[in-house]
Amino acid sequence: MSFIEIKDAAKGFGSPNNRTEVLKDINLTVEEGEFVVIVGYSGSGKSTLINLISGLVQPDTGSATIEGKVITGPGPDRGLVFQNYSLLPWLTVTENIALAVDEVFKDWSKDKRAAHVAKYIAMVKLTPAANKLPKELSGGMRQRVSVARTLAMEPKVLLMDEPLSALDALTRAQLQDEIADIWIKNKTTVIWITNDPDEAILVADRVIPLLPTSPATLGESISVNIPRPRDRKLINHEPEFKRLRAHLITTLLDSKGKNKVKSSRKLSLPDILPEDLNNLHNMEFINRRGPKRRTDNQREEVEVLA
Amino acid sequence: MKLSKDFLTTYILPLLGIFAVLLIWTALSGGIREEKTASGFNKKIKTGLIQDLPSPYQTWVKTKKYIVEPFAKREELDQGILRFTWYSLIVVAKGYFIALLVGTPIGFMLGLSKVFTRMFDPIIQILRPVSPLAWMPLGVVLFMGAGKNANDLGALFTIAVCSMWPTVLNTAVGVRAVPQDYLNVAKVLKLSKWKTLWKVLVPATLPYMFTGYRLSLGIAWLVIVAVEMLTGRIGIGNFLWNEYNNGLYTSIILSILTIGFVGWALDRLMSLLESRFKSI
Repeated sequence: MSFIEIKDAAKGFGSPNNRTEVLKDINLTVEEGEFVVIVGYSGSGKSTLINLISGLVQPDTGSATIEGKVITGPGPDRGLVFQNYSLLPWLTVTENIALAVDEVFKDWSKDKRAAHVAKYIAMVKLTPAANKLPKELSGGMRQRVSVARTLAMEPKVLLMDEPLSALDALTRAQLQDEIADIWIKNKTTVIWITNDPDEAILVADRVIPLLPTSPATLGESISVNIPRPRDRKLINHEPEFKRLRAHLITTLLDSKGKNKVKSSRKLSLPDILPEDLNNLHNMEFINRRGPKRRTDNQREEVEVLA
Repeated sequence: MKLSKDFLTTYILPLLGIFAVLLIWTALSGGIREEKTASGFNKKIKTGLIQDLPSPYQTWVKTKKYIVEPFAKREELDQGILRFTWYSLIVVAKGYFIALLVGTPIGFMLGLSKVFTRMFDPIIQILRPVSPLAWMPLGVVLFMGAGKNANDLGALFTIAVCSMWPTVLNTAVGVRAVPQDYLNVAKVLKLSKWKTLWKVLVPATLPYMFTGYRLSLGIAWLVIVAVEMLTGRIGIGNFLWNEYNNGLYTSIILSILTIGFVGWALDRLMSLLESRFKSI
């Protein structure tokens, strides 16, 4: 039995008559201590996939298990690093991390918890900024806080949902190295999601492409046997790196367009009515958000003689 | 010396506006002219466009005693204008705090629970537009058992009920607008319901809550005048009404200006508080 297992999972969203299938036939096994990266196009269902493991969404069919137990909801054993950091803006760096630590390690003494928080702030090199609010930090620093918050919970598996995609290239490279270093020290299981094939091969033990078929499914996994620590300057010249990269990109590109089902649908052009501010507090506002279209108001009544 | 544009727009233009209004007021106001009749008696003749409207100068002369000694207490019904205002403010503060204490939790429940919204939103929408003048008698009836305190408690009730709605509705909107990201954080960290409320929902809703609090305070200050006119408890609204009955129209104008100034000051105060929380 593997550490994390997803079996024949499928997931779709929407009401029965307007449904989008996002994932199908997802089979994934991750062993303890493994660093797995899933690469895919934007909008191909990567976040949905990682949320199956985090427990924020449940599969429609099939199952997701961790250590043999079915995942029914989020838990502190699975630490999730969000794409948009999701720090609480009214709490300082320390308080953001303490919020997680206090919840997970309730039975620890106050001092022990504080020391634990400080340790992880130091690990991501943010000790000088410990008492700053998120708005005073750069994007890279914020994501480091988010990583520290997750690591401080000492999860059995670290789930990273495009953790670096909102950062500039240089900060991104630096954080990739930092996270890889932390992993070498801690050896936690990591499932990392990205849209960058280079990033994937640079950090992973194993890369799995998420093929952009519709609905998306996982391709064959590719083992990365490049010794660690990997030097990002040298790795570009490594033949193995070049080969894997070419292979990965070909796999992703080739699957695009395959498996497509032709279907036609009538499209209506945007025809949005201005919002009626007088209706702000009625039931309609609560139940359906989003723009209202003129077509919604059209109705035809025909009288016929029986 | 050249005046800066800032100085012009922040000080000169408003002063010009005030001056213009005073001018129009003077032009419209009436006065009294004395004339000797043929029989040798003095006859008072009213003049002006609006004969009973006192001019700004008359208003100042006749209400000076209320202004220069704003906290004086000469008699029960003859006190400095700020002393009257102070009585009113105390009642407003009490009623307002009741409104916040009751309104905020209701707002949270509306924002969090669809069932609760379905159940109570129609009632709220019906009660919300009811005038303070309509609530007042009910308030007094409700506290009839309290004897001579019935009027005071009724006044508090009216202020609380009328000023509660902006707090309720803004809090509800604020809770619904809490970003899903923050709720996901709470879920992933497995925060308890209580902790989610205090660490995530309340801070995220604060800016909306304070907008509600500010609007509520404005309404509470509107209501106090009506309440005092009805109950006859001492305060700025009551002073206005008494002076109307005494035919002292200058005092009415003084009261209106005072009510306006205090309302404006309260609103400024609240918006300062509000902007502190908006900056997060």
